[in-house]
Amino acid sequence: MGQDAIAVEELVYSYGELVAVDHISFKVAEGEILGFLGPNGAGKTTTVKMLTGQLKPKGGRAQVLGMDVARDAGKIRGEIGVCFEQTNLYEQMSALENLLLFARLFGISDFDGMALLKRIGLAGREKDRVEGYSKGMKQRLMVARSLVNRPRILFLDEPTAGLDPASAEAICSIILEERARGATVFLTTHDMMEADQLSNRVAFMNGGKIVALDTPHNLKQQYGKRALKAKVQTPAGGLQDREVILDAPETPDLVHNLFAGERVVTIHSEEATLEDIFIKITGRGLKE
Amino acid sequence: MNLAGIRALVAKDFTLFFRNRFFALITPLALIVYIGLYFVMPRSVDETMDIGVYAPGWSAVVDDIQQQGLRIHVAESVDELKDGVTDHDYVAGIVLPADLAEKLASGEKPRIDLYVASDVTEEAKEAVASLMREMIYALSGQPLAVEFSTEVLPGPDTVGEQIPPRDRMRPLFAVFLIVFETFGMATLITEEIEHRTIQALLVTPVSVKDLFAAKGFTGITLAFGQGALFMAFVGGLNDQPAIIILALLLAALLVTGIGFFIASLAKDMMSVLAWGLLALVILVIPAMGIMFPGVITGWAMVIPSYYVVDTVDRVANYGSDWPDIWQNLLILVAFSVAFLLVGMVALRRRFQ
Repeated sequence: MGQDAIAVEELVYSYGELVAVDHISFKVAEGEILGFLGPNGAGKTTTVKMLTGQLKPKGGRAQVLGMDVARDAGKIRGEIGVCFEQTNLYEQMSALENLLLFARLFGISDFDGMALLKRIGLAGREKDRVEGYSKGMKQRLMVARSLVNRPRILFLDEPTAGLDPASAEAICSIILEERARGATVFLTTHDMMEADQLSNRVAFMNGGKIVALDTPHNLKQQYGKRALKAKVQTPAGGLQDREVILDAPETPDLVHNLFAGERVVTIHSEEATLEDIFIKITGRGLKE
Repeated sequence: MNLAGIRALVAKDFTLFFRNRFFALITPLALIVYIGLYFVMPRSVDETMDIGVYAPGWSAVVDDIQQQGLRIHVAESVDELKDGVTDHDYVAGIVLPADLAEKLASGEKPRIDLYVASDVTEEAKEAVASLMREMIYALSGQPLAVEFSTEVLPGPDTVGEQIPPRDRMRPLFAVFLIVFETFGMATLITEEIEHRTIQALLVTPVSVKDLFAAKGFTGITLAFGQGALFMAFVGGLNDQPAIIILALLLAALLVTGIGFFIASLAKDMMSVLAWGLLALVILVIPAMGIMFPGVITGWAMVIPSYYVVDTVDRVANYGSDWPDIWQNLLILVAFSVAFLLVGMVALRRRFQ
């Protein structure tokens, strides 16, 4: 990872009296995937809107690729790709027409729409009007549209929400391919598993503030507990649960005693999820 | 300005406009229907007037008037005369009493009953009154003891060159075609807002100004194109085409601005329909003055479309020139620019 693709400092936005984004600061390095997590109304979308030039910040500063979002929004938009949560395609046009339109808006003359459609698995349906596509196909096309200009930063808002596993998997693969290409990915999601698997770091947002920002591993280390869960057979022939907390000084002895003193039937390790950690930090669930 | 982006947006808007089944059908259909209507309407003015008369004992005089080119229908009774009026067999019915001559000779005031249908225009009533004066002159053999003064005021003298109904209707049809595009423009924008495609456009290098330029170009082209095509087909561009084209262009600018404004008010397609209908009704009021002369008075001048109708009517039908209508065009420019600016400001809020 290289220089900062995004640098945010004390960023503020309010809708009248309601402060949607409250003095947040963070940085995203080039080539990094940042998972941006938080419940509805946490301020995630408002933050993305400011970073993509749709809203002008009411306080603080934000730089995208070294350009100020308030002054250079037009230039920034030429370098980014945005995939919205809700489908907003031209449904009376075909997939290829949708992509070609956006290629022209980005001023790309040698755009190969078919190659992109092939990459997202829509080749063969390129001339069909989008109104006849399934939700998964539309979402894949949304992701494809955000890639038209080979963006240096990709903003993805709930890209896999409500999709079948195959479509979700296809989109996750594209995200990883984009990172491999060198793109920075700003991933807004409710899906903890997705964020955990894809993100280099995750930011938890709640009530307009960033309440935690680190790698999933570090967050789990810091806020979660790792444990071994075992089922042991009792002398009477029944089963009982045993738990051994990992990462404690006495853990090796406890594990040894478990196997030496009892008949272990099943055993597995258990790790705190990002959702557990979010609840621990904020006192509320991500899907509230 | 991002010209390549604007071109792409205009091409997209035209594609979407003609992929909307309603607009794809109604646009050429309306043009064809109005051009067809023009050609089926009378190309000359019928100056004859049908009059009913119940005049016992005056058959010789009636015959004499009939020979002067008027179409006189002789009724056998007052009831038959009234039925003729209500059935629109003739414009008016006149009852001439048998003792009319004696009373005129003795200096008495004879009573003459005139029956007119409720929907007869003021112009027709005036014509019937003039006819009665002629008849009484013929009956009494002497003019009435009154003096008529007639003064021709400055204006187009169309005696013997009356404007055929179809030519009088040209401005009305042209305005209908142009004004209808308010719906088209508002629909295109509202669909973009409703389906959030506008958000997708605004995260590309296209700016809000580019969007307005593209939408404005699309709206003006659609509205002006239809109005100009219609006028070209019906011979409305034969005299002073530059003035007519300018007036139609300004009208297209005006309806585009109104379309922007409606799109800023409308929450969905139903609201577009409601607001669009309201605008349509208001904007065609001045054009109705052509169909029903005398109905539209000075108050219609507050409606911007008045200056389109008046300009097109005066130039195409009465041969008016730049010095006669420059004020109209100036007012039209002011209205168009004002609506466009208000529409853009109101719409800008909805884009965010």
